[in-house]
Amino acid sequence: MAKLTFTINGTRRTLDAAAGARLIDVLRDGLGLTGTKPGCREGTCGSCTVLVDGRAMRSCITPAASVAGKRVTTIEGLATAGKLHPLQQAFLDYEAYQCGYCTPGMIVGAAGLIARNASPGEQAVRQALDGHICRCGSQPRIVQAVRAAAEVMRRG
Amino acid sequence: MADLTLLVEYKRREFLKVLASGASLTIPVELQGAETRVHVRRAADGRIDAFTGKIDMGQGLRTLLSQCVANELGVPVEEVRLVMGDTDLTPDDGGTWASLTTPETVPAMRKDAAAVRGAPLREPKEWTALGRSQRNLNGPDIVTGAFKYNSDVKVDGMWHGVVLRPAEYRAKLVSAEGQGVVRQGDFAGICAPTLAEARALAAKAKAEWAYEPLPAFDKMIAAFKAEGKPPVENNQVRYPPLIRRGDAEKALATASQRRSLAFTLAPIAHAALEPRSAISSFGEDGRLTIRCGKQAPFVVRAEVAKAMGMKETDVRIIVDMPGGGFGCKQRSDVEVEAARLAKASGKTVRVEWSRADEFVWSYARPAALIETETGVAASGRIVSWRQRNYNAGAPGLRPPYDFADHSNEFWATRAPLRQGSYRALAATGNNFARESTVDEWASTLNRDPLEYRLAHIADQRLRAALEMAAQRFGYKGRKVGVGLACNLEKEGRMALFVECAMEPFRILRMTCVADFGAALNPSNLQNQVQGALIMGIGGALWERLEFDSTKQLTTRLTNYRVPRFTDVPAMDVHIVDRREITAAGAGEAGITLTAPALAAAIFSLTGKRPMSMPMRVQTP
Repeated sequence: MAKLTFTINGTRRTLDAAAGARLIDVLRDGLGLTGTKPGCREGTCGSCTVLVDGRAMRSCITPAASVAGKRVTTIEGLATAGKLHPLQQAFLDYEAYQCGYCTPGMIVGAAGLIARNASPGEQAVRQALDGHICRCGSQPRIVQAVRAAAEVMRRG
Repeated sequence: MADLTLLVEYKRREFLKVLASGASLTIPVELQGAETRVHVRRAADGRIDAFTGKIDMGQGLRTLLSQCVANELGVPVEEVRLVMGDTDLTPDDGGTWASLTTPETVPAMRKDAAAVRGAPLREPKEWTALGRSQRNLNGPDIVTGAFKYNSDVKVDGMWHGVVLRPAEYRAKLVSAEGQGVVRQGDFAGICAPTLAEARALAAKAKAEWAYEPLPAFDKMIAAFKAEGKPPVENNQVRYPPLIRRGDAEKALATASQRRSLAFTLAPIAHAALEPRSAISSFGEDGRLTIRCGKQAPFVVRAEVAKAMGMKETDVRIIVDMPGGGFGCKQRSDVEVEAARLAKASGKTVRVEWSRADEFVWSYARPAALIETETGVAASGRIVSWRQRNYNAGAPGLRPPYDFADHSNEFWATRAPLRQGSYRALAATGNNFARESTVDEWASTLNRDPLEYRLAHIADQRLRAALEMAAQRFGYKGRKVGVGLACNLEKEGRMALFVECAMEPFRILRMTCVADFGAALNPSNLQNQVQGALIMGIGGALWERLEFDSTKQLTTRLTNYRVPRFTDVPAMDVHIVDRREITAAGAGEAGITLTAPALAAAIFSLTGKRPMSMPMRVQTP
């Protein structure tokens, strides 16, 4: 066990992390943030995606120790002051999910995309989210939702 | 008598604490307030409590069944408190499978709700909650990450179990030794206060297995044919293994032209994104309570009771929504593993499967050999049709076409692989073989594939679906890269047109028209159909479990290609809403259209007809 300090959803926290622990396990088991979902546990399905200093990362292959001193944002940290993030609202509006298990990672991944590209075209969304699997087949609605959210965010 | 409202809250909020404390979780059936469990009742606070043994796994059942109750009682959908999949609280509505909820559970819920109101069922023109796009009631919790799936459930003080697995696919346990090893039959596992401790103990344990070899794929297919048993006619079962009319053999003998085709299907995995898990706990009264994420809680209860040597009424199964099912979460497996470890340790024990466990220790969509033997008259009309499905199953055997003499047969075999349910079951393979055969005749006879299909279809709704899809697609006769398929599956009528291109192969667009009768929740229906079509791309083009002579080689998602964003074409999925016609279940049918439509398109591009799933076409 080693002490790990990082900022999680805006709050600075210090906790114990086992040597070699992955970020996903610290989030889910240590902090109870179960919105971050395990899927493949090898970085290929995207369901565990979180933002580390604003960049989308696969928390299942990210060593917990590597986020020391950094800012980590999970799906639980996207809404502000009780108001849904535009991506969350757009996923609701387009019903861009079925079982919804991939949705938190998908939304966080899309937030990472919009941070880099405020006006992503259809191909840019598809390319950026290609590392995310939706087994239910809601991809067409997800693309629509992400583009709609980006537009809302551009308008401020 | 306790207020059921409290029980519902108790179930939702207090379960964890209760389970952790080891206290009894016995809730007598009588608390439901009826000898026979009811689907609907008015609670003391004036709100509506509803109960179903069905579960939601993303197909939108919490929303749809709440709509049913709200519709008959004239209340907002949000007023309905629906308890799903709890064997102590809900009626046994059968497993959540086979697109049966809409034809069976929807009418049952509506009838019971109407009875509470003391009025007949509302006519479609009086519908308030049904027949309109109701947003998924889970949506707000899904997008914020607050929604608790099966694997998100944790209990204070619970222990963690690890199951010892053999490297070989078909193995029997010979011996298992080591600190804390629990052995029962072919099961050997270990539990400890933390997962890390359990894993450390498991790593030190020694288990020996005796294993049987696995046949190569071609040998397995050959054995299906050599050992298959002819079907016995029985039209009383859900999936009759022999559907026939006239004398197909005799008609074949007199046909103007004949053709024999053989199609093969590889075994594939469901690859639901959430690995399964279960938490098992014995109460002081000896009752066993299991929280899991299975599609058929009452089947799981029966299987757990049998495995544990208990009475079914001494077992309670509580389902938390799984993150995808598609047929892989029906039978007991992880539940029994957790129960065995809970019994041996006296602790509450959680077992979660790894991704490799999901791939290897669940079951596959069955491999198959499907042969068609067909003949046409001098006019070009198909007059004789015989289709034989070896190993995969009888679902989807009934042709939507008017063939004068036909025989559609399921030949059961003994498969060397674990196989079981999968969205649409064998209907996907059966439609692939049937549609490819019809398409082959259209090509041989130089007929337009749409016109040729229509010439054999009497069903007006299927004809209308094909014609509407052709129009939306902009179909103007045969064109390189274009393929189509149709089906009448479980009372759903569907038509699909696709356009593909080569160098490299890619799907450019899909146009689908689907008629399932009344669209009870049109937006959700569209999402389901579109999703099933997309899921079908994987099985059509890439998915295949690989084995060597003893082991399954496919154990990781990186080695198993499923559809991703850049694989999904532009899609136009249109739902025909026939309000006056009883709604059919729509969770499955879409997946039966993708492979044959893609095969027809690939044939037009390459001149070679794909005869296997997955198809061998070079893709990026």
